[in-house]
Amino acid sequence: MVLHPRPGPIAAAMYTLRDLDVEAIVLHGPSGCCFGPARLLERDGVRVFTTALSDNEIVFGGEERLSRVLRRIDEAFRPRLIGLVGTCTSMIIGENLRRAAEEAGVADRTICCNIHNCAGDNTVGAIEVLREALGMGLISKEEFERQRHALEMATRLERTRGTARMEYLPDGPGDDPKAVAREVVKSLRNGERIACVLNAKKETAFLFADLMLALAEARDEVGGRIEFVANLDPNVGLPRIRGYSKTILEELSARGIHVDLLTGGLDEYPVTGERAREAILSSPPELAVIAGVPHAVAVEGRVRTIAVTSGSRATSNLKSLGYDYAVNEPGAHRVSLGREKRIRRSLLGSAIRKAAREGL
Amino acid sequence: MRSVAVYGKGGIGKSTLASNMARALGKAGLKVLIVGCDPKCDSTMNITGKRIPPLLELMREDRNPPPDTFLFRANNVWCVEIGGPEPGVGCAGRGIIVGVNYLLKKLDLRDFDFVVFDVPADIVCGGLAAVVKEGYAEGVILVTSDDFMSVYAANNLCRGLSALRAKAFGLLYNMPAGGAEQVQEFSRRVGLPILGIVPYSEEIVRANKMRKTVVEAYPDSRISKVLESVSSSILGVEGGRIPRWLSIEELEEIFHEDPSGDHLRD
Repeated sequence: MVLHPRPGPIAAAMYTLRDLDVEAIVLHGPSGCCFGPARLLERDGVRVFTTALSDNEIVFGGEERLSRVLRRIDEAFRPRLIGLVGTCTSMIIGENLRRAAEEAGVADRTICCNIHNCAGDNTVGAIEVLREALGMGLISKEEFERQRHALEMATRLERTRGTARMEYLPDGPGDDPKAVAREVVKSLRNGERIACVLNAKKETAFLFADLMLALAEARDEVGGRIEFVANLDPNVGLPRIRGYSKTILEELSARGIHVDLLTGGLDEYPVTGERAREAILSSPPELAVIAGVPHAVAVEGRVRTIAVTSGSRATSNLKSLGYDYAVNEPGAHRVSLGREKRIRRSLLGSAIRKAAREGL
Repeated sequence: MRSVAVYGKGGIGKSTLASNMARALGKAGLKVLIVGCDPKCDSTMNITGKRIPPLLELMREDRNPPPDTFLFRANNVWCVEIGGPEPGVGCAGRGIIVGVNYLLKKLDLRDFDFVVFDVPADIVCGGLAAVVKEGYAEGVILVTSDDFMSVYAANNLCRGLSALRAKAFGLLYNMPAGGAEQVQEFSRRVGLPILGIVPYSEEIVRANKMRKTVVEAYPDSRISKVLESVSSSILGVEGGRIPRWLSIEELEEIFHEDPSGDHLRD
């Protein structure tokens, strides 16, 4: 039993729909449902709508309202592809999303996701969307199986090493970025070898990749050696996700950074975490800086580690797992979601640059 | 004031008995309120002679409908139908919660001598249980006949009431068909008295066709006297109790000679 709040299947379904490049997501439920993720996705260029169900629709049914909403969206915005997601309210009263989409005349371009937040792990929502996309011929069977495998691994990882592994995890402040930056710079100045590992999840890579830039800049300033390991394979994942990798690799290349080992794609962090772990342990560096989802790279206790992640609960989890340092980069989604995709400045990255520049 | 909720297997005669009880007590000079909670809206039809506008339908148009739009008086009985969705859509249970909560904001049940909630079928969800769970009714009357399935449903209701720690006044034994011993045994084991026995009656069938209660249509009939007597005894019954419930084996033991079911095996 996990007592602290956890992400749910609806948000996971919405993010996966965004990855499939739907132009509109319709939540069939109350207007406040998943407000936070909905607003973030809107910043990423997806229009998010709600049927804003009230007690009237709960009692008398809301399919008619859903059809009306779908027709109205179609008239106003002509979306090429629509994602339609259930919520607890609509699924518990047995609403038929497909029938409402047919009634509105948009069924052939609507991915219907019969999911709600009581359906289990958040990954259930993502898998459901992918299954529907497979049925509509939007993705191949191989792509579906690859992603399902990664998502199931992610679920296991969260239960064994993530924030779902304990009944209750308190928030933790994490380590002071300035103090951690000094450790990094000291290590470089001493000529040590650092493994800089990016093991990020989708768009959050635009924030965590800044550690690669900052470490390279610091190395140029004070010396030392860095090996770059990153899950930025531009040939893995849906076109949008491949695009993220390509953009980041181009930006890294423009700054003279070559990735020594590509562990896989941005949508398979549990798989790439294993590969990064193997790489680190095969030739242990003096220090490993692991950014994104560090708990997928199980090297704590074997190598001196700096884990960089997003969220104070995740930071607290990393500390209790035994990572030497854990730095919180708050709001990775908030920082990295937006129309313009480029590497964003991170807290720790900025602190490392400053420490190197000022000779701290 | 006495308030009761009538529960029992679908089709067992809950609405017929509830409307006749209401009419009988109204006829005796009591101020009576009957609240139909079934989306079919058939609890009050035999009292008013017509289908009255369901409260939830009115609330779809106006979130705050005044009482004179949903509360109808006929023969000293005030009638309300909560209403609900068409079959197969929405949530009737949520409808009961929303409708009854609104009703209680507009009416003070203490203004009535007798209030009867006619609830659809079994306690299959929280909404259908709300009337007793929230204490709107002081206790439950379980309507049953003497066939296995209706006693099975009554036993399920006892189980629900026991879990909710809600009280029942007793059983109303409707349309006996030769199984009095079984109903008596069930009554003894769950600890609920039989409040009355209502025989099958052609007059009830004829009165239903006239959209009337039998108490009104055939006031001098034997069945009307029985219903009047049963209503009086419900009005006077003391306390109520949380019922016990039986395991399926215990229930089978009451009804079947071979409760193990061995005779069905090769």
